[in-house]
Amino acid sequence: MSNERVNIAVQRRTVLKAGLAIGAMQVTSPFVVKSLADEPVKIGLDNPLTGTYAALGKNELIGCQLALDQINAKGGILGRKADLLVEDSTSGDAGTAVEKARKLIDRDKVDFLVGNINSALAAAIANVSYEKSVFHVVPGGHTDPITGANCHWNVFRVCNTTQMEANAVAGTLIKTAGKKWYYITPDYAFGHTLQAGLEKACTALGGAKVGGDLTPLGTTDFSSYLIKAQAANPDVIIFLVAGDDAVNALKQAVQFGLDKKYHLAGAQQELEVLLGLPPEARIGTWVFEWYWKQPNLPHLAEFVADIRKRSGGHVPTARTWFGYAAIWTCQLAAAQAKSLDPLKMAKAMQGFKLPPEVSLMPDGAFYRAAQNQLIPDLYVGNAQQAPKGGDREDLFNVTEIVKGQTAAGTLEDTGCKMTWPS
Amino acid sequence: MNSADFRKQAPNIVIWLLLLAMPFWLVGVGGYVELGTRVVVLGLAAMSLNFLLGYTGVLSFGHAAYFGLGAYGAGMIIRYVVPNTGLGILVGTLVGTLAAAIIGPLIIRLRGVYFAMVTIAFGQVFYFIAFRWNSVTGGDDGLIGWTRQPIDLGFTRIDILHNPTAFYYLVLICFALAVGIMAWLLRSPFGRTLIAIRENERRARFLGIPVDRHIWISWVISCCFVSLAGALYALLNNFVDPRALYWTQSGDFVIMAVLGGMRSFWGPLLGAAIFVILQDYLSSQTENWMSFLGLFFVLVVLFFPRGILGLMRRKAVT
Repeated sequence: MSNERVNIAVQRRTVLKAGLAIGAMQVTSPFVVKSLADEPVKIGLDNPLTGTYAALGKNELIGCQLALDQINAKGGILGRKADLLVEDSTSGDAGTAVEKARKLIDRDKVDFLVGNINSALAAAIANVSYEKSVFHVVPGGHTDPITGANCHWNVFRVCNTTQMEANAVAGTLIKTAGKKWYYITPDYAFGHTLQAGLEKACTALGGAKVGGDLTPLGTTDFSSYLIKAQAANPDVIIFLVAGDDAVNALKQAVQFGLDKKYHLAGAQQELEVLLGLPPEARIGTWVFEWYWKQPNLPHLAEFVADIRKRSGGHVPTARTWFGYAAIWTCQLAAAQAKSLDPLKMAKAMQGFKLPPEVSLMPDGAFYRAAQNQLIPDLYVGNAQQAPKGGDREDLFNVTEIVKGQTAAGTLEDTGCKMTWPS
Repeated sequence: MNSADFRKQAPNIVIWLLLLAMPFWLVGVGGYVELGTRVVVLGLAAMSLNFLLGYTGVLSFGHAAYFGLGAYGAGMIIRYVVPNTGLGILVGTLVGTLAAAIIGPLIIRLRGVYFAMVTIAFGQVFYFIAFRWNSVTGGDDGLIGWTRQPIDLGFTRIDILHNPTAFYYLVLICFALAVGIMAWLLRSPFGRTLIAIRENERRARFLGIPVDRHIWISWVISCCFVSLAGALYALLNNFVDPRALYWTQSGDFVIMAVLGGMRSFWGPLLGAAIFVILQDYLSSQTENWMSFLGLFFVLVVLFFPRGILGLMRRKAVT
């Protein structure tokens, strides 16, 4: 008798638990089924929100969201509301990034895919978007093959190629700092191609490489590399590391006193990195891909003010602008093609010049035809400590604006042979 | 079939029916076919690991090495040699199995944590080879520039690249073969011997069982199927990168096996399903998804040390 009772009690409890579980599933259901009517136009963002590129990723996201709100305020994409679906690609796990791209394309049926900051992940998800024929904008992965040897008709890129950055800065460096260069390079696509680009530009101008090291992504201790660099006695130590790696490398270089002995420089530099540095480490010659202080440029003040409202008072960085331009590119492509058909949109964007309120550059920016690469202005200058009485985020002094077309080389140089689906 | 037999077989039948119909019901509840393929592939990897962990009682922390070798093997065949999916799978599996067979004799005398440590060490060797050998493996960028190829059956061609459902069934066929062989082996005298070694190695040795050789065979079988899973994983992503070889990937397999229940045959598949779906879901909800995932594992290990299937079974027994 008593046995049976226990049994019944257990069953009742099980039923209660099951009920609770089902109840909870309704609230936290992983898969929300929506009706297809009045479906907004979907833009999928597959970008890092965690790991070494988290700070850059969040700034791109702020830029994306501003663009999205502006687009929706002006009537959306082809009259439909635009929606941004955000997925964390992680900073270096290609498996996750690829899975997220498939999820966005297959399950969420996005009309546009945007991503990624990490060059390797950008190349990996470009494979997916190409396979699925989805209009894809790479906001901030710099490695050359994405719009070079591995270019695809559906993949557009906002940020510069590494070769463009190298070409922009090499002349200034040879003139002001010297001809013997030592490289500290992150060991993946972005670093390799950036170093190759600089070596090419440097040799063309009569300089030479005296040594270099490849550092794994996520290195925190650069001391052994810096000791080796000193031993090679170069004129210039070139830092090609990005993100948190760059913060660590430059901090340690200043602690070692290298800034007193050598010219520290690099190709690409980011405001996020300079902000992460102690003031005395804000030194060196760099290329910025966009800067928030450009005298007498129309629309810039509104953009900076809008971003400040969303970012807790911070100024926009190049990353913010990449995100902003990437989302606007989606809208402009649809508007230009009057269609969401990827092929029509890609064709419509060949040679397309961004309107000044989006490009926010003195010479404007356009997507080069048959390469899908945005050709913008590049800003060469020096990192500086924030001027007294000025903005505490004014950490870069632009000395020269290089036109993208002079830095971009010819279409043959890029190695892009684009094939279009018939 | 009498009713007792049927009861025993019922869970198997349910699992196979669910797997067979997955592309249909998964999309119905809002998933996508590739998610199901991922579950099956990683489930196969975790079940292969469990052949060694759960049925032989040996913990390997380096299975990602063979997973990754299978993946690179398949990818490189298609990229460099012949664009043939079947050959890619075959060569990938063979490469992983061969590596395991060679490394096996060096490590089978070790037990417990020492075995785990040495498997990690060998795994990292392969990781760094893949990471540094830029010209062949593509280094940290991974192996790109290839896709899975249509399968030519003579009378018809199956496009597994643009048809995710067709690819799912290809994966399921491989899964069924591998799982069938493992189940058959475990029911054979050989499988019983492995369980005897797990339960009491010293007694097994006194009975005259060549323990080291059995562990070696079990290790090779386990690594063979994990390389098969790796080859399928590469085809699923059309991409391989060195992370597939990294020791944290081995850790993921161990977590899947422990999560689902490593004393049960289907446990690791359930563990893999929970792991993949939880990751897929949480990482879309919050950028702190790794903390929640970690917390979940801590809770499972604290409160259900026998895994989720282990818990269900205990309930059924009491």
